[in-house]
Amino acid sequence: MKKAEKKIFRKKVDRANKLARYIISIGGYGIIVSIVGILLFLIYQSLPLGFQTSIEKLFSIDLPSRSARIVLTGIDQYQEIVYTLNENGIISFYRLEDKQVVRRDSVPLAETEKILTATKGNLNREIFALGTTQGQIITAEIRMLPEYHQNERIIKPSFRIVDSFVTHTDSSLEMHHVENLSFAFTEDGLFYWAWTDHTGTLFLQIQDPEEDQPFLYDLTENIGEQQVSQLILDFEARKLIIGSYEGELFWFDLSDIEDVYLKDNWKASQHPITALAFLIGDNALVIGDAQGMLESWFPVRNEENEIKFLPVYQFSGHNTAVTKIVVSPRNRTFMSIEESGMIHLNYNTTQKTQLTFRKSDYAIQAAAISPKSNGIVLVDGGNRLGTYILDDEHPEVTLKTLFGKVWYEGYNQPEFVWQSTGGSDDFEPKLSLIPLIFGTLKGTFYAMIFSIPLAILAAIYVSQFSPKWLARTIKPTVEIMAALPSVVIGFLAGLYFSPLFEEHLVTLFLFVAFLPLIFALGVFIWRLIPEKKRMIMPLGWELLYVIPIILVTYVIVHFISLPVESWLFNGNLKQWIFESLGQTYDQRNSIVVGFALGFAVIPIIFTISEDALSNVPESLTSASLALGASRWQTVRKVVLPAASGGIFAAVMLGFGRAIGETMIVLMATGNTPILDISPFNGFRAMSACIAVEIPEAPVGGTLYRVLFLIAFLLFVFTFIINSLSAIIGDRLRKKYSRF
Amino acid sequence: MADRISYFRQKGDPYILGTGMALILTLGMVIFIVTVILVKGLGFFWPSDLLQADLPDRIYLGEVWDETSKRQTDRNGHIIEIPEIQLKVGNRELYGSDFVWLDEAEVSQRKYPLAASTFERYEFGNFYGYIRSVQMGDSVYSQEPKFMFDRAKDAHDIALENRSRKRAFEEELNELITPLSRLQREISLLEIETSAEKQAELDELKQKAAHLETEISEKYLELSDEIQKLTRENEGIFVRVESADGKKTVIHLADVVRFYQPNDMNLFQKSVLYISKLWEFISANPRESNTEGGVFPAIFGTVLMVLLMSIAVVPFGVLAALYLNEYAKQGTIIRLIRLSVNNLAGVPSIVFGIFGLGFFIYMVGGTIDQVFFSDKLPEPTFGTGGILWASLTLALLTLPVVVVATEEGILAVPRANKEGALALGATRWQMVRKIILPNAMPGILTGLILAISRGAGEVAPLMITGVVKLAPSLALDGVFPFLHLDRKFMHLGFHIYDVGFQSPNVEAAKPMVYTTALLLILLVICLNLLAIYMRNRLRKKYKTAVF
Repeated sequence: MKKAEKKIFRKKVDRANKLARYIISIGGYGIIVSIVGILLFLIYQSLPLGFQTSIEKLFSIDLPSRSARIVLTGIDQYQEIVYTLNENGIISFYRLEDKQVVRRDSVPLAETEKILTATKGNLNREIFALGTTQGQIITAEIRMLPEYHQNERIIKPSFRIVDSFVTHTDSSLEMHHVENLSFAFTEDGLFYWAWTDHTGTLFLQIQDPEEDQPFLYDLTENIGEQQVSQLILDFEARKLIIGSYEGELFWFDLSDIEDVYLKDNWKASQHPITALAFLIGDNALVIGDAQGMLESWFPVRNEENEIKFLPVYQFSGHNTAVTKIVVSPRNRTFMSIEESGMIHLNYNTTQKTQLTFRKSDYAIQAAAISPKSNGIVLVDGGNRLGTYILDDEHPEVTLKTLFGKVWYEGYNQPEFVWQSTGGSDDFEPKLSLIPLIFGTLKGTFYAMIFSIPLAILAAIYVSQFSPKWLARTIKPTVEIMAALPSVVIGFLAGLYFSPLFEEHLVTLFLFVAFLPLIFALGVFIWRLIPEKKRMIMPLGWELLYVIPIILVTYVIVHFISLPVESWLFNGNLKQWIFESLGQTYDQRNSIVVGFALGFAVIPIIFTISEDALSNVPESLTSASLALGASRWQTVRKVVLPAASGGIFAAVMLGFGRAIGETMIVLMATGNTPILDISPFNGFRAMSACIAVEIPEAPVGGTLYRVLFLIAFLLFVFTFIINSLSAIIGDRLRKKYSRF
Repeated sequence: MADRISYFRQKGDPYILGTGMALILTLGMVIFIVTVILVKGLGFFWPSDLLQADLPDRIYLGEVWDETSKRQTDRNGHIIEIPEIQLKVGNRELYGSDFVWLDEAEVSQRKYPLAASTFERYEFGNFYGYIRSVQMGDSVYSQEPKFMFDRAKDAHDIALENRSRKRAFEEELNELITPLSRLQREISLLEIETSAEKQAELDELKQKAAHLETEISEKYLELSDEIQKLTRENEGIFVRVESADGKKTVIHLADVVRFYQPNDMNLFQKSVLYISKLWEFISANPRESNTEGGVFPAIFGTVLMVLLMSIAVVPFGVLAALYLNEYAKQGTIIRLIRLSVNNLAGVPSIVFGIFGLGFFIYMVGGTIDQVFFSDKLPEPTFGTGGILWASLTLALLTLPVVVVATEEGILAVPRANKEGALALGATRWQMVRKIILPNAMPGILTGLILAISRGAGEVAPLMITGVVKLAPSLALDGVFPFLHLDRKFMHLGFHIYDVGFQSPNVEAAKPMVYTTALLLILLVICLNLLAIYMRNRLRKKYKTAVF
């Protein structure tokens, strides 16, 4: 019995042993898994920023192949229904799933009347204007709204005529063809139509639904001899741009509907303008000409304080004339289509042509981008309609926009800007990482110049010169300093020290300036005391002599600060800084942050340097002293080099801590993403940016992924710093520790 | 002379003095900062005297909040300092803002009237003024100040007692009608269904509801009666007060937390009040958008979160340290793990935060929501910040600390004991369990304490993984399942940030922030001292373990 029991017991013990080994190994490997996991996750979340745009053909419908030209097409936001409008006024709604026609409508036209031009007038609604061969302009709207039955969604298309009028009022029987047409339906409900007829006359009509009479302008004389080839109104109808066959552009200002005037005109191309479009936001004007040139211009304020359109971005050109430009309703993506049927998908701010493709060998009759900018509809010359899925999640971000200067709308030159969100939907996201990286480095720089000297010198004192009992109390004190939560330091810096510094700026500067002077004076006096009397002070008690020096400096400075300020700085240091250095003094500035961040970093540098200095073998120091070197000479020539590895590691660790610190920079800077080395203003650090912006960033959106990219950069920075400190620290240690 | 100088320089005394100065400056900064927090933090609760300042246009009564001097240039271009006083005059419903700045030169008279009273209220902040009469139901008292004050005290006691009884009744009422309201909600949800079986269910529920209603109606009426009685009684308990500049108003004593006449209190009375306010700070909920009252929920949240974090980090850290020291073979693996630990220690805390948000909350939490809580969607349960995810994130952050400290503890175990156990035939695990773990306890505890200290102080990762400015309920309460891992919580460190930088009335909130900061520092310092003590004991053991 006993033997069997023993065997069972032994088996249990062995099993427990194996299980324990297994679990403990998991614990060990788990550490590697954790850090690798964090790194991989950061990469995983930021990688999609670099994904290429792609399209995938989804559905294809053969339209009834009569010779009726398709003038307009569109798709609903869920990409279930497409419609086509042909020149005879027939509107057909197709359900993409089964390619069935679910509804037909028609625009009331006369017998032989045909639609010559069709143009959409609003980014959020399918409202459009049609110009006919008999001089009619018909405004209509298509709605494709979802209805829910039994938890199923069905799109119900509907169509209605909004307005229609005849463009000519003279009694002649001659029909005026409406040739070029642009239409805008603005936020406040006004209708704007601009068109030319076959005689070349340029008209602008503005209708306020609350008024009976529309405003009608004949703007032909402003164009002079030139002939209109294209025209476009912006979405809020503040500008009308006319393009001519001579390549010239005319800008009409519509901000006062009772007083429309020609604001400017300039030559944009050597060739006829063949396509014009405004991008979302009403700033960027995209121009295509007969030779396939594709450029975007926007209004810029110049030195004379005038606003002029300037060519900002050039895109890869087409081989044949640009015939259509289709604009995305969501962002600054636009599709440029040329005569031969080649299609380019471009994004304005990055100046990137993301995709080029061709639907078929035919030219394109009509094209549209879906409301959520995730799909494209194309109707080609063979009357075939195709829908595509557009996968373009993060067009705003390229390496150049992250790290280079970008010319944003509203600025007069390319700049580094970080401004992730704005007040409206048509805001242009400005995501440059340079201000943030600069901010982090600026904060770290000011922190380091404050903390490195203090920490290392203090460590030298404690390890080399101070009496043992003092060292034993100081070390724990500094460790406790290290444990002070950064929230508390940041809070004090932001709410207590900032106002204090601002109040007593002169006192502070004077203190820093006078301390070395009084110190030198103190040393001089010290020297005057004969050596024998000096020896009475035991080695290591020099500390006591230092305290009065500091107190005397403070007292002197306190009394002279007011007279100095009024004498040197006309009574107001901040004003003086502004006038002579051109900089405003922010209450939360880099001096305060340098102090606070430095305070947080000093204990780290101190502890590790002190350890390194104390670990220098006593044999070395004793030998040096025995050979007649003074204490200081020993420190300078023997101890410091021997401990250099540790000191370097300490500085690197402090540097790493300062780079990653979040709360202090969050609370003590103004969090303004500026690029200015001045110590009198704040900055925005990478870490603070993440903390502030990630709660509001839509999950999976561009800002979200860019913040992960910033976190990844922080991770890489600290990894490099850690590795450098380990490698170089080791090397220095090997070099100097030969004992 | 030149010789003397160069000898002196070589000797290096000035440089030595210079290093000493660096040390003094550093220590000086620490002492200065701690003193500032101590003074401003502890000083807040001391009941301050009420100053009545007479100015040409108005009389002001309030607590002296700050005294500074403004710098201005006078007619001759000299800078002069104009001393100013900031007075907290309270009475927000009368004046709009709590604080005024007064030019000292304009003050014609300064008095500290004995009858000036401070009222701390549940809403609208403090009131400073004079009691003109006390109303208790039908009786009115309006004789001399001392008499009125005592009567007011009695009335206040009664009002507070009524208030707490009313609260108890309201809770009872709530519990009474909860099952009924739940039923009614189910009924309303079913009413939009049209199928036959649902109709039958609907009728059944309606019957149940009617039944329940009759059952509880008697008790319901009784309770609401009591509540009404108490409310009416409290409406009749109030004081008529007058502010220093003659504005009269009425204060219901049920709305008053406490009131006192500071100018008339001696040192002992003030100390008693001070201690009671200090106690309120630690034990009560915040009031007045975090500018008054206490920080109990923040303390509770911090403690609970740190507890959860410890449960996660200690086993993980100990296992890892054991692996490093006992199980791993020398070479690449050990170097890799040490490299990982070092890098984990260097990663900025906000990176842990964003990892916690993206991975724990959105990925893991989102999946949990889809699998277990899909009926509650799109309202997230675990797919949003909460105490569970915050604790896990901090566990990752403090892992290196625990690993390193545990390693120190393991190294302190004398090799003789370890090898002896193995020699006597113990398996590795038996040796670890019986020899290493017990002896390494100080190291493990040191690690735990340092981790706790770090967890109490870190704010950045918590900000985005589940801390809120005001939590409606604690994560641990009497309602099943008692520990609500998906709830958001309050945290001392975040409280400091939020109240100091995101509250609508920063000036009034600042003193509380100092006190909270003091509390946090004390907590952290005590923990660290404890850890240092443990580590010293460990070192002593190590010294004797050299074999």
